[in-house]
Amino acid sequence: MDISQYLEIFIDETKEHLQSLSDQLLILETEPENVETINEIFRAAHSLKGMAGTMGYKRMQRLTHDMENVFSEIRNGNMKVTANLVDVLFKGLDALETYLSNIQESSDEGTNDYEDIIKQLNNILNIGLGKAIDEDTKVLEVEKPELVLPTSGEELKFTSIKILDYEKKAINKAYEIGMYAYGITVYIQEYCILKSARAFLVFKALESLGEVIKSLPDTQDIEDEKFDLDFSVVLLTKESMEKVKDEIMKVSEVKNVVVGKIDDTNTEEAAEEEESKITEEQELDSSITSTAKASGTSSGNNTSKQSAKPVVNRSVRVDIEKLDILMNLVSELIIAKNGLVSISTTDSSNKNESGFNEQIEYLERVTTNLHESVMKVRMVPIESVTNRFPRMIRDLSKKLNKKMELYISGEETELDRTVIDEIGDPLMHLLRNAADHGLESNAERIATDKPEVGSIYLEAYQDGNNVVIEVRDDGAGINVEKVKKKALSNGSITQEQADSMSEKDVIDLLFRPSFSTAEVISDVSGRGVGLDVVKTKIEALGGDIEAKTKLGEGSTFIIRLPLTLAIIQALMVELGSEKYAIPLGSIQTIEDVTQNDIKYVHSKEVINLRGSVIPLIRLDKVLDVEEKQEQSENLTVVIIAKGDRLAGLVIDNLIGQQEIVIKSIGKYINNNKIIGGATILGDGEVALILDVNTLV
Amino acid sequence: MEANSNIIDGKQYIVVKLGNEQYGIDINFVDNIVRMQRITRVPKAQHYFKGVINLRGEIIPVMSIRLKFGLEEDQITNATRIIIIKFDAGSAVGIIVDEVKEVVTLEESNISRINSELGDKNGFLNGIGKHGDDLISLLNISSVIIEKETN
Repeated sequence: MDISQYLEIFIDETKEHLQSLSDQLLILETEPENVETINEIFRAAHSLKGMAGTMGYKRMQRLTHDMENVFSEIRNGNMKVTANLVDVLFKGLDALETYLSNIQESSDEGTNDYEDIIKQLNNILNIGLGKAIDEDTKVLEVEKPELVLPTSGEELKFTSIKILDYEKKAINKAYEIGMYAYGITVYIQEYCILKSARAFLVFKALESLGEVIKSLPDTQDIEDEKFDLDFSVVLLTKESMEKVKDEIMKVSEVKNVVVGKIDDTNTEEAAEEEESKITEEQELDSSITSTAKASGTSSGNNTSKQSAKPVVNRSVRVDIEKLDILMNLVSELIIAKNGLVSISTTDSSNKNESGFNEQIEYLERVTTNLHESVMKVRMVPIESVTNRFPRMIRDLSKKLNKKMELYISGEETELDRTVIDEIGDPLMHLLRNAADHGLESNAERIATDKPEVGSIYLEAYQDGNNVVIEVRDDGAGINVEKVKKKALSNGSITQEQADSMSEKDVIDLLFRPSFSTAEVISDVSGRGVGLDVVKTKIEALGGDIEAKTKLGEGSTFIIRLPLTLAIIQALMVELGSEKYAIPLGSIQTIEDVTQNDIKYVHSKEVINLRGSVIPLIRLDKVLDVEEKQEQSENLTVVIIAKGDRLAGLVIDNLIGQQEIVIKSIGKYINNNKIIGGATILGDGEVALILDVNTLV
Repeated sequence: MEANSNIIDGKQYIVVKLGNEQYGIDINFVDNIVRMQRITRVPKAQHYFKGVINLRGEIIPVMSIRLKFGLEEDQITNATRIIIIKFDAGSAVGIIVDEVKEVVTLEESNISRINSELGDKNGFLNGIGKHGDDLISLLNISSVIIEKETN
């Protein structure tokens, strides 16, 4: 069976389950008695276990299995949720995530067993159930023995364990050094719910006495609860039969234990039976394979499987509904094409002219809709990024010993998939900053009459062609004067510059690379750790970031990202002989302005437009376009907006609105980011797209 | 280099002319050679970038080697070509040359290392190849195109 085709589904679903686990654990931490949450976690852990098992990821399976065990007990009311437990569960979650990312990269789960987490889980389980545990909690390493059919109705079931040659050798050797080989059959109470957990405890008890060399069914199946009420093992030990029996009986819910010596005769017998059993074995084996395991993994050798490295493609889940819309549009496209074909084949007359135009319009409408729909398919709600943050803030809160609460709104805001993939880290960085440096300590907060628990807000919303994400805290804010002093002392700015700097200019200093070094930060107000990295990343996505702050009241970081990356509506304008595209989303209005309307403030050109003073930008100067000879009396001004700031771009000519495909101009040209990309016009000419955000 | 019995022994270079000099470009980097076409100027770019062109739907930046090397401005003639250089998928650059002459195969023994007296401070050259009576300056194409420091 080839499981690689299921890998993508597995990864997607595992992600979903992990996310649900994380969410529910967070709830559980505040409401430890919430039955629904406990059930939900149990279900998620159970599904994960099943999925990991199917895919043959044994380590992952074992870990989830143990988590599930704990929750099964909680669900049954046998133990309570403790803070310690939640911590361990979170650790387990992290481990599972590591497995998942390993799988995603190489389709292999990796080799880390996370024994410590498993041990902790089992400790908690045992403590919770009021049992003492052996110091030796080493979990058995599964060595796959061959399967043997269980024979029924017999007390001494261990006699049916088939002893293989090498095991015989081991038994003989054991006798030589004064050890005994016992066959043990353990019967578990009928009402026992977690048989595998019992079996596990029995195994642990046995491991402390000697060595379990064989079990029936095999250990993996026992772990998976694939046995009825009994299982048998072969144990090599120096202890007496009674001692062994006593140890096992100490495990609760064990009904009976039968211990017997294994000697040569019954190994011989087993060997004789071997032949006849082989066929049945194979059948059994295959049925197990199809129910629970991926083939090839039952050999117990995890590393040998799938040496080829399938790199998992990034996939987007799409609503059937969206696909239906796409399908409809494509059929309309075909109809539109057929319309054109039929017009071109019929003889030309005056009537056809209008019919032709009609069809063109129709075609235009269809393609626009098609574009929109395809973009929608690429859109992913920002939730997929933000949903890991509550957990992070929880951990930070513990680590920093500050009480804080994260409020997220607008998770449903959609962004292009490529942006979503990249935006996670910058956001995380900003949130960390807010938690670590933005918020004051609890004591300070109380001293300044603020609520003890700090608040961090993550808000996302759509604004025209942009998506805005704000990270806000109600902490101390940025001390502008301190930043200025620091910048002066480390030589980033001169005294002259410092005097003429506006508050915004000073805050912008924080985004400079030189401000990202740690020793600068703690002295100032703490801001700036890697903010330049955040800025670079966001700019690479075609967005920008700015900061606002009010001393004592907190600071806000505002990220502005383009909604789509591929196709936009743009206004084509002419400057001299060159053509440029201005994204329509940032255009407010287009105005005719006479020379007389231009006023001067700070020797800069401004216009007063319906009560607001708007600075003018001479695009031909900014872009070094060859100067025109005649200066016309009337100027065409395109008013653009970035957030609440406006600016007027003076252009020579308007060409019109057009749908353009954005293409990159490559990484080699370095042009101060004024040009956001290029597009190819209908006649094959290249027009550059202005990134107006850099102009305002 | 191992002197194998293979036919291709040594590297193939495209020989181009810039003024009076001949330069060789490793053929492995050359994606395409196109005729001179309309170049859209990109404002505020480095001075040696002439702009971008549309090559079958792809936007490709075009640089002038002459300007980069501090020679006089290109004279566009009928022989002028743009050589499209591709390092890896998705990053192509065009360079303007006066003329494309031929493809030559140079064996290692015919290439001499650059003498420091020639003053190739920028590391633009890999060596000098001898082909018959001609000398060909072999461009280190990646250092020509990739800006080391932005000033």
